[in-house]
Amino acid sequence: MNVHAAELAQTGQSPDQLRARAGYYRLLAGAFIEEPGRDYLIALRSKEVQAELHDLGVRFDPDVTDTDVDTLVSELACEYAALFTSPGGCPPIESARLSGRLQQTAFEQVRAAYAQAGFKVRQGRFTLFEDQLGVELSFVAALLDRLAAARKADDLDSAKHLEKEIKRFWALHLGLWVRGYARLLERVTVHSFYREIAALLGTFAEAELELIGVHVDDVDGGREVVPKADIPLEFNPDEPVCGGCRGPDSDSAVA
Amino acid sequence: MKTIDLSRRGFLKVGAATTAAAAAAPTVLEAMEVEVGGKDFGPVTKAERKAIPITCHVCNIQDGALAFVENGRVVKLEGNPEHVSTRGRLCAKGNAGMWYSYDPDRILYPLKRAGKRGEGKWKRITWDEALAEIAKKLDAALQEDPNSIMLKYGRNRSGGAIDRFMQTLGSATVVNHTSVCESSKKVGMEPTWGPDIETPDFANTKYILNFGSNIMEAAYFHNPYSQRLTEGMADNKAKLVTFDVRLSNTAGRSDEWIPVFPGTDGAVALAIGHVILREDLQDSDFIETWTNVTVAELKNHYKQYTPEWASKLSGVPVATIERIAREFAQTKPATTYTYRGPAKHLYGSYNEKACMMLPIMTGNIEVRGGYCLPRGMSWPQPQPAPPKPAKPSYLAHPDEYPLAAHKVSHLVPFWIAEGKQKINVYFTYQDNPVYTNPGSDAVWGKLFRDEKLIPFLVSMSPFMGEETALADIILPDCPYLERWEPESMPNSLWPWLGIRQPVIKPLGESRENRIILRDIIHALDKDGSRGMKKYWEFKDGEEYMRHHFDNVPGLKEAGGLEFLKKHGVYPIYGKLDPKSGQVVDKTGRPIQPEFGLHKKQLSSEDMTGAAVDAKGIITKNGKAIGVQRNGKNYVGFPTGNRLVNVRVDEWADFGFNPMPTFKQIPWHKEMKDDELILTTYKINVHKQSRTAAVKWLAEIMHSNPVWINSATGRKLGVKTGDLVRVESKVGYLVTKAYVFEGIHPRVVAIPTAFGHWAYGRLASGARAKLRSEKAGSWGANDDPDLKNVWWDDKGVHPNNIIPVVADPIGGSQGWYDTVVQVKKAGPSDKYGDSVGYWDKHVDAFKETMRYAYTGDKHREMHPEMSSWKGPGSVKKKEGGH
Repeated sequence: MNVHAAELAQTGQSPDQLRARAGYYRLLAGAFIEEPGRDYLIALRSKEVQAELHDLGVRFDPDVTDTDVDTLVSELACEYAALFTSPGGCPPIESARLSGRLQQTAFEQVRAAYAQAGFKVRQGRFTLFEDQLGVELSFVAALLDRLAAARKADDLDSAKHLEKEIKRFWALHLGLWVRGYARLLERVTVHSFYREIAALLGTFAEAELELIGVHVDDVDGGREVVPKADIPLEFNPDEPVCGGCRGPDSDSAVA
Repeated sequence: MKTIDLSRRGFLKVGAATTAAAAAAPTVLEAMEVEVGGKDFGPVTKAERKAIPITCHVCNIQDGALAFVENGRVVKLEGNPEHVSTRGRLCAKGNAGMWYSYDPDRILYPLKRAGKRGEGKWKRITWDEALAEIAKKLDAALQEDPNSIMLKYGRNRSGGAIDRFMQTLGSATVVNHTSVCESSKKVGMEPTWGPDIETPDFANTKYILNFGSNIMEAAYFHNPYSQRLTEGMADNKAKLVTFDVRLSNTAGRSDEWIPVFPGTDGAVALAIGHVILREDLQDSDFIETWTNVTVAELKNHYKQYTPEWASKLSGVPVATIERIAREFAQTKPATTYTYRGPAKHLYGSYNEKACMMLPIMTGNIEVRGGYCLPRGMSWPQPQPAPPKPAKPSYLAHPDEYPLAAHKVSHLVPFWIAEGKQKINVYFTYQDNPVYTNPGSDAVWGKLFRDEKLIPFLVSMSPFMGEETALADIILPDCPYLERWEPESMPNSLWPWLGIRQPVIKPLGESRENRIILRDIIHALDKDGSRGMKKYWEFKDGEEYMRHHFDNVPGLKEAGGLEFLKKHGVYPIYGKLDPKSGQVVDKTGRPIQPEFGLHKKQLSSEDMTGAAVDAKGIITKNGKAIGVQRNGKNYVGFPTGNRLVNVRVDEWADFGFNPMPTFKQIPWHKEMKDDELILTTYKINVHKQSRTAAVKWLAEIMHSNPVWINSATGRKLGVKTGDLVRVESKVGYLVTKAYVFEGIHPRVVAIPTAFGHWAYGRLASGARAKLRSEKAGSWGANDDPDLKNVWWDDKGVHPNNIIPVVADPIGGSQGWYDTVVQVKKAGPSDKYGDSVGYWDKHVDAFKETMRYAYTGDKHREMHPEMSSWKGPGSVKKKEGGH
């Protein structure tokens, strides 16, 4: 391994690592784009994948591991509907998460980003919103594939451009809502499949942001909020503070 | 630099010179609200937003509107300045309409029930799967009986598509919502003068007698009418007198609010008529020329309705009745207005008739400033059209209510439970009787949860309303900003045609209703061998609209559908003057409506082959086409004999009084001192059931305390904010009290639109719930927009405790007839409790059926009709009404 390759490997930028990362994006996208299908679940439950996920701390309950696949498909279809496509749920859609309404600014922005990168959304079994989580994750996966190819071809200009695009997409979109949303999903689902997928999503998002060096606050309503009651108030009444400089008989404060 | 030493006092001195100079200085600013609009600009991009004309459909006024679109997104709604009826104004509800499209609780995919009905467990399915399953059920139902396929709609503005669908299936079981709306008003009016509604010329009148309508706030056509009413009162110095049980926003803005005991408006109107006739203040010429009675007959009939008699019933002082009668008769022009107030009672049709007699007897019909016929326009249906169903449906036209031309939908659950008609497939469209009907969940919820009674329930809805939550299959319909519909409403004196067109593409996989109906038929009749597909051969909603609009005379020459797509409304009568808010002609003068429609003369071609009888009725081909008066051949009124029928002979056939009359509600007569009457009402920012999920509106009003009069409150020991238990014979609710002077002491009032338990997280208050309590309600607490929801209260729904009452003539629900007791809430009562009991509602149903013409109470209530030979003497009509 030459020095440059070693540097890339350290930052997760080697072609193989980029493709591996893209694989995780796709695995996660598969849980959101539509109801998990039979093939996806069989692959997910394979020994190799389970072992790899286990290493990452993913622990599915028997409702995933010990249920026959057809039953699991059916149960997850109900859970998917309850979580994402029936009223009262939490649709994994950026516009809905950030503005409380469907198809708002984020919808237009990501569509423009896809178009600029030469992509459009191909509808599957069901029509998808462009700012649906599965689509946004798939987009980054596709950019990572391109980045891997650019790296392999030593096309530095393209690689630089793609790196920027990925960072930009995280900063403007995924980074704004995915971590908070993952925490919400982990709390509200009753099925270990989505609980673990949510945990993986949240952890993966944190890791990706650190890896690509993007610092952005998650503003999704599902983010963890420390209750005010739990915040210790550090205040010493004997310590002079600004505004406390006023004299006892004065009605004006000294700035 | 020269400085001027001026104190503040110096500036405050009013100098003649500076005042004059200021007046002469050029002005460059004017108040923005003076501009009616028509244009809008993005605050960031500064680019002009695309304005697409539509017809609003948050409620049923059908205001002309503009949707402003930026980057494919609806960002703002406002009135269409080209619309002669609503003149660029749009109410709060209309301004909030885009929330429907972008609501994250909207249903965007077909859903199939996966658990028990109402459990909230769903699976998303494809359209093909949904349509195949529905087609299979329809196929089985058709083999048994086409009438076992039922469709009940609420707000149907499809322009004929719903009827086409059911006729294609050969089913007559089409049921509307009108009996919980205004049907007894319609039935009170139609046999008398033809149309089901009046269009008062408020702008030009001098006197308005308003019986129980909250016209400035929430009544039918409140936007265009409140504009004209305000003009009439401000510019024309018209007097507005309102009879109402409560101080509505209209009553509050009236010259006089006269509280009246519920259900007695008809008695007051008859007594006013008595005074007019007694004092010879009637318009004898109009009565003798245009009605089917003489002045002498009318005087004789009205003798019984003395002010003293009405005063005892209504609580309105005799002197007030006499004064109002004289004012009304002697002020010209004058008009009355009613909507649901008089009509939503056991004998609502009689009440409506009594009220409309006042403009009739004073000759204020079809005159400037008077009580006018509605002006509307129609459109042709696409051809070929399916034939009418072969067999009548009991549920659509029950035998016991032969005069109820607008059906008796609120009794349907009881008839289905009784086995009067079997239902195999039930479609619902823009309806939510589980919330909106009397008995609410206790009645309709019970019906829909019973899979033996309703084996297959399909809801076409964008939202998970209380009824849709009980469906087997949900087909995602589009909200109004995403669909095509033809429109026309008689909401001013200028007839118009309008269009609702998609402003944005349907979100998700939602489809507009006519497309859903087409796709169902195509799934059922794939190869056309059933003979159904041929009625549904159109590509999309726009093509369907071309069938409606491209051949309407006048509009065709103007461009047909293309004209409507550009302007939203046809015809354009003039230009809106932003200063006056009036539609004006090229010279700046307001466009004036035409009056005297009944005096339009028949042409010689019309008269060819016509015969004139001794009464002057002109008949041609067995049908009355006009009236001959003073040697002139007039078109007359759109009734069977072209006259105003003060005496409705058809009513007498069924043992009802054919002349104007009043029947006191029997159980009101027997009320104890501690009993009150519950009334409900609508407010200006909500419609009946479909706005509680609209955040802007919910923020304005989200709770509905019960109004109680101060004296009553003192008697009950209840003050504002106290929790009270309101109990009727069919259930109880627990709510907060609002105690003040603005309501009749024997009445309590609760507005509707609140207390949802479904319809999305905002309406149902799911924000505070946990998943353990109700499936699907959890995530709401984390919804960012709901972080801004500062209110916890969702109100209390009153309909569970309101029993069914059916007007035996018009079939209307007696919404305002419920006797209740109000007490301070007990320790086990919880705010928000709303409980009804099926068995008790069944008892109420049986009781109200006794007043039908076939029931034992009918004769008792009509001693004056003793010569009637009973139900057996009635010849039954074939094929319904």
